[in-house]
Amino acid sequence: MENLYIAPTPSSPEVDFKFDQHLLALRGESYPENAAAFYGDIIKRLRAYLAGCTGQRIAVNIALAYFNSSSTKMLFNMIEAFSEAVEAGNMVHLTWYHDEEDDTILEFGQELSDDFPAIDFVNQPVRSA
Amino acid sequence: MSSAPIVHEYGAFFELARQNRVIFYYVGYFSQNIVAAMAEAVKLQLEVSGATGPTRRKLFSSFVEMAQNIIHYSADALTPDRQDDRELRHGSVCISERDGQYLLLCANPIEIDIAEGLRQKLETLRSMTMDEIKQAYKDTLRAEAPEGSKGAGMGFLTMARDASAPLEFDFQPLHGVENTAVFYLKAAI
Repeated sequence: MENLYIAPTPSSPEVDFKFDQHLLALRGESYPENAAAFYGDIIKRLRAYLAGCTGQRIAVNIALAYFNSSSTKMLFNMIEAFSEAVEAGNMVHLTWYHDEEDDTILEFGQELSDDFPAIDFVNQPVRSA
Repeated sequence: MSSAPIVHEYGAFFELARQNRVIFYYVGYFSQNIVAAMAEAVKLQLEVSGATGPTRRKLFSSFVEMAQNIIHYSADALTPDRQDDRELRHGSVCISERDGQYLLLCANPIEIDIAEGLRQKLETLRSMTMDEIKQAYKDTLRAEAPEGSKGAGMGFLTMARDASAPLEFDFQPLHGVENTAVFYLKAAI
């Protein structure tokens, strides 16, 4: 399966899904005009990759400094796909980076870890820039 | 000296902006590129103004939600109604600051038919406690996106969650344009 790389823009994150290394990363800011369109294809590719995984260790790094309301919904759907992959017998280690001062992103991460307990979830504060 | 006519014509406008402590104002067409550029300007302005990190982030978040609402829903569009990407629509946003409190305002024309729906949605939000708003946010996150929404149906909830007081709104008939009103929304951070 081919890797997926999308370069960042001021309003959309860098998507760096190295499927061959089972190492997936999202970095930057996320407020594209149409989050459903932006994330729709990404989630489709991700699901196709996950469907081919069995007993696999998958590392996910998400470091988003800001995401708008419609991106929030898409991130939730993406994490749901990881949770389903764990139920299918894989291991997902997700590191959720957030600015140490950013309670909103911290709380959203906590909510994700409550909702999807199957995922090995680490909340990682980073120092404010 | 030939500067007097300019002061005479525009002095009042700038004086009003100064009195209201306007730190950012834009009126015109909104596209994603324009919003991204404004977002950069707003970020810089907020850093310079000395707002704390959490306040800056809440302001930035509400600013983006307001600006993207204009891209998606203003009735004054240069792009066809059915188009849901690369849209171009008209409106205005304003940020002002007084004694450490920030006010965000936006305005855009809407079709009169949708005013009542907006009013009900916002009145409901205004009647909710912060705990109820957070719960509604969680529920909406897990629900299917509502019909007619171009996002996740979470924009107002996100603004209400970040605001320090209930969101305020108003409608004003637009003279000379049938079936159209101006929708105003105000968030205090």
